[in-house]
Amino acid sequence: MQRCRPLLGTFVEITARASDESKLHAAVNGAFAAVEGIQHLMSVHDPDSELSRLNRFAELRPITVSHETFAVLRRAHAMAVESDGAFDYTVAPTLAQWGLLPARLYRKCPGGWRDVRMLPGRKVRFLRPLALDLGGIAKGFAVDRAIDALRRGGATAAVVNAGGDLRVFGAQSSRILLRHPARPQTFATSLRIERAALATSSPCFTEQAWRGRRVSHLVDPINGSAITGDVSVSVRARECWLADALTKVVLNAPCRAKRLLARYEAEAFVVTA
Amino acid sequence: MSDWIHRIVAPPALVIAVGAVPCYAATYLTAEQAQKICFPEATEFIVADVKLTSTQMKAIEKDSGVRVRLHTQKVWRAKAGDRFLGWIIQDEVLGKHEFINWTLALNADGSVKQIEILDYRETYGYEIRNDKWRAQFCGKQHGARLKLDDDIRNISGATLSCRHITDGVKRLLSFHELMLKH
Repeated sequence: MQRCRPLLGTFVEITARASDESKLHAAVNGAFAAVEGIQHLMSVHDPDSELSRLNRFAELRPITVSHETFAVLRRAHAMAVESDGAFDYTVAPTLAQWGLLPARLYRKCPGGWRDVRMLPGRKVRFLRPLALDLGGIAKGFAVDRAIDALRRGGATAAVVNAGGDLRVFGAQSSRILLRHPARPQTFATSLRIERAALATSSPCFTEQAWRGRRVSHLVDPINGSAITGDVSVSVRARECWLADALTKVVLNAPCRAKRLLARYEAEAFVVTA
Repeated sequence: MSDWIHRIVAPPALVIAVGAVPCYAATYLTAEQAQKICFPEATEFIVADVKLTSTQMKAIEKDSGVRVRLHTQKVWRAKAGDRFLGWIIQDEVLGKHEFINWTLALNADGSVKQIEILDYRETYGYEIRNDKWRAQFCGKQHGARLKLDDDIRNISGATLSCRHITDGVKRLLSFHELMLKH
């Protein structure tokens, strides 16, 4: 069975098999519900999400968040530390300035990930004005949660693909086509993955002009400029949040990425035109 | 697994061209399947299609801020016995790169119940209308031609936006408000 819904700002496609067909619909519904749950908590666009509440108030006082949001924040922070900032979940003010995120996320002199504190009791506090955007990791996390739901629901094999961030589970390997970054209507290559996740980041659908410069949704936190051009980075890792986050490390700091890829037993594929 | 970064250089000439347009297509559900998924408890779906006059189309455009393309909107009333459960509205959106058939299920009070994509096609309309580009594309068909069989259902790459569906929901909520609500 294959179904698709618009979620996480993209199309989430779920393909699943089960020995008991009657269970399948409920399992797929559960997986979509899991993705919806993550979107509800961590959408940066939704002013009522938990993340938006954090962005409004954590500068003033410690804010308690859900287990899910705290789990993603901890992963995001660990990735920022391990990559020495090549993965940065505090670039929202820059993206707001470029018009790629809502203007309310703009901060005049924003702090960075070093100014985020995770406190006991799932509390989060910002030491300086800043805004978080979990777009570089939460989509992958949502894919992982969907896979968990499918497994619990009795699926024997499944693929969850959230607009290119995907994970495969079950005995069968899956063939994945990688879009060509310069000509997204064609494919650069195909990869085969089994019991793993693959995420791809590329500026090619969001690149646009801003005050005479080219900008995209991918910010290089090291110099604050946008990543542009016909390039795409795909990472294969065991879980999708990890693959998702590692694509940004490879794009921003290829040398540092090698060490991290080795540590997480991951692989990167860089496609250039 | 390797700790090395694989660099795939894909000059346009080596790109695998996927037949003619559309380059990617997927069918998920028929209209009937989607109806049953959205309202599993329903016993019948009564056809209630609405033909729109140009005045009505303009009113929906004004209310939603989204262009109305279709003159006829396919609509069903979902019922469980005598009980009215809600509406199923079938629609299509034409994005920058994609053509999508989809359904919106509304609860009896007009709130959104569920969205299901029926089928999805990437069309790259702009380039297709451009003859020069088309010539280029045709030239590439001589190379390795890839068939979109069951094996190839997954694509990774730059994320496509679902903004056109979001606009479609706005438009259909206005349609419901102006044309269906009593």
